[in-house]
Amino acid sequence: MSENLPLFPASADADRGDAPQRFFFNGTGSEYFRIWIVNLLLSIVTLGIYSAWAKVRRTKYFYGSSTVAGSSFEYHGNPIAILKGRIVAFVLIVIYNIAMQTSGRLALFMIVAVMAIAPWLIWKSLQFKLYNSSYRSIRFGFRGSMIEAYKAYLLWPLLALFTIFLAAPFAHQRMKQFQHNESRFGATHFSFHASVGSFYRAYLLVFFIWLAGVVAISIGLGGAIMAFIAAIRTPGNPEPGGFIGFFTFLFALYIWMFVLFPIFVTLLQNLIWNNTQLGAHRFTCEMKWPRMVFITLTNILGVICTLGLFMPFAVIRMLKYRVESMTLLPAGSLEEFVADTQAQASATGEGMADLLDFDLSL
Amino acid sequence: MAIQGFYYDGKTSRAYRATLSVTDGVAIISGDVERTCPLDTLRVSERTRHAKRKVTFPDEASFEVEDVDAFENMLIDTGFSDSTIVRTQQSWRGTLLALALTAFVLVTGYLYGLPMIANVTAKAMPASIERSISSGMLDFLDKQILAPSELPVARQTALTERFTAMHPPKEGVPAYSIVYRKSKIGPNAFALPSGQIIMTDELIKLMDNDDQVISVLAHELGHLHERHLMRRLIQSSAVGAVVTLIFGDASAVVANIPTIMLDMHYSREAEREADDYAIDMLKANGIALTQMARGFEKLKEAIGEDPSGSYLSSHPSTAERIERIHRAQ
Repeated sequence: MSENLPLFPASADADRGDAPQRFFFNGTGSEYFRIWIVNLLLSIVTLGIYSAWAKVRRTKYFYGSSTVAGSSFEYHGNPIAILKGRIVAFVLIVIYNIAMQTSGRLALFMIVAVMAIAPWLIWKSLQFKLYNSSYRSIRFGFRGSMIEAYKAYLLWPLLALFTIFLAAPFAHQRMKQFQHNESRFGATHFSFHASVGSFYRAYLLVFFIWLAGVVAISIGLGGAIMAFIAAIRTPGNPEPGGFIGFFTFLFALYIWMFVLFPIFVTLLQNLIWNNTQLGAHRFTCEMKWPRMVFITLTNILGVICTLGLFMPFAVIRMLKYRVESMTLLPAGSLEEFVADTQAQASATGEGMADLLDFDLSL
Repeated sequence: MAIQGFYYDGKTSRAYRATLSVTDGVAIISGDVERTCPLDTLRVSERTRHAKRKVTFPDEASFEVEDVDAFENMLIDTGFSDSTIVRTQQSWRGTLLALALTAFVLVTGYLYGLPMIANVTAKAMPASIERSISSGMLDFLDKQILAPSELPVARQTALTERFTAMHPPKEGVPAYSIVYRKSKIGPNAFALPSGQIIMTDELIKLMDNDDQVISVLAHELGHLHERHLMRRLIQSSAVGAVVTLIFGDASAVVANIPTIMLDMHYSREAEREADDYAIDMLKANGIALTQMARGFEKLKEAIGEDPSGSYLSSHPSTAERIERIHRAQ
């Protein structure tokens, strides 16, 4: 710990200037591995009940390991609240899966019901997550209204769906605008300034990179596809070589998706945080996509080769890179944020949102 | 002994340079700010090597420790002890033990525990629940992949009567009916949990004789009698839940691959069990097992072997199934 000290301002006065403050992440894979395996065992032998406590411990470790301007973050989530949320989510998932098996009207009803309830869940989850996070003993908070949550998480996504995703960048921008504009640190508001146009540019760039990759793969494996087409046109037993070529082609496309996703994450996280402000303070985010692609692919390989034991190391590597790509650009003192005394948050939502697998970070 | 650190008062984000010391069960903050507080009202964050440690006051003010080693000595002096879980997390011996236990619980649970629990649960469950699950399925299949059978009604009735007159290998046969259909996806037969066994014209045409058709029907009745659908449903939900617990904070793609592979093992087990059921049924009714083996061979000739390799396929290989029949003779 002590070797990190010189990175932090030595005293309270040091951060009064406008010097950029980098984010640091001090967690290590080997320590997280130990936390992970012990809590995994407890979660399994308690049939999942302990997983709520495991989640709190894990999140506390991540928050406590993240520092900016010499201070770390803290997580205050209550395991009982998370357990309740998880039980509700578990029951919903069981009902949903049974409904899916029956086909027909009940399944359709469940899909509509989940779509109708999801925005409310995300809204509650945002309140819970932010209210239970603090920095320098000042809690974060979330103030957005339910109506706005339904617009951001139901209306705009539906619009995206009905426009064959032409409106997806717009919907994404509205979603982040809602999340970031309504977030607070104490009594100070965050604000979000990325335009719809900038989201379209990012999406278009990802689309063209994807297209270029597909064209390259098609040229490289073009012969294989021709062989496959020839094989299915020839009556009688298809030639196995054609199939192998075709599967190689599909496999290459699949791998390409793995490479593309971190590029997407990089562009979006940079766009989002370079256009977010806390009061007058700004952020920069300088993730590089080659590094992200490298981390993602080696993580997947590591997890597969170790039958999952590399998981906690993979999580820490990714988190460290994403956190340490961020810098806070203070516009004046960081000592003058004031707590919001009326802040409250209900505890529903959180457990459900994390079981239903919403990633709210992008 | 005074510990260096920063104090935050919970009202503003100001970082006060301060020290923490303990005298007579009271914590004393001094430096840029002065405060005292009884020890038993304070919360101490769990010990980790790399995350910062904090002491939290009842009003949410906090003290962030800079000198971790000195702080740990102070905790020992004041009689504070880490929970067992925290101590296990911090020791490699405890971690390795946890790893070994986790592996043991997962492997035995997967191979023995879960199949047993699923079996008991599925058989204790009223049949009506299982039936209601698939009530709409035949309608759906009729629209998608099935068409009305072109087999003469007399032949359908004869087959059904012959099969229902046979002795089942064990008591408690669930109510079932045999449904004849024409198939758009080639020769096939399958059982729905609602108790309908679907037999396709194409499969009847493919088989050399009625004994072979009967052995397929017996296999499908085995799925119904052993409550395979309900068991699979319970097993795959449990596998999905455990995989989510383990890989939950990585990507969904990573989590899906093991789930499918683990689930297919259960599928092959169910097929073996249904084959055994059919073998017993044929034996009990004096039908030669060679007919069943021949039926499998004909099916393999017609639709080929699953190319995905044994760990990903839903059925055991035809060679293995025929070998099993020969061993039963």
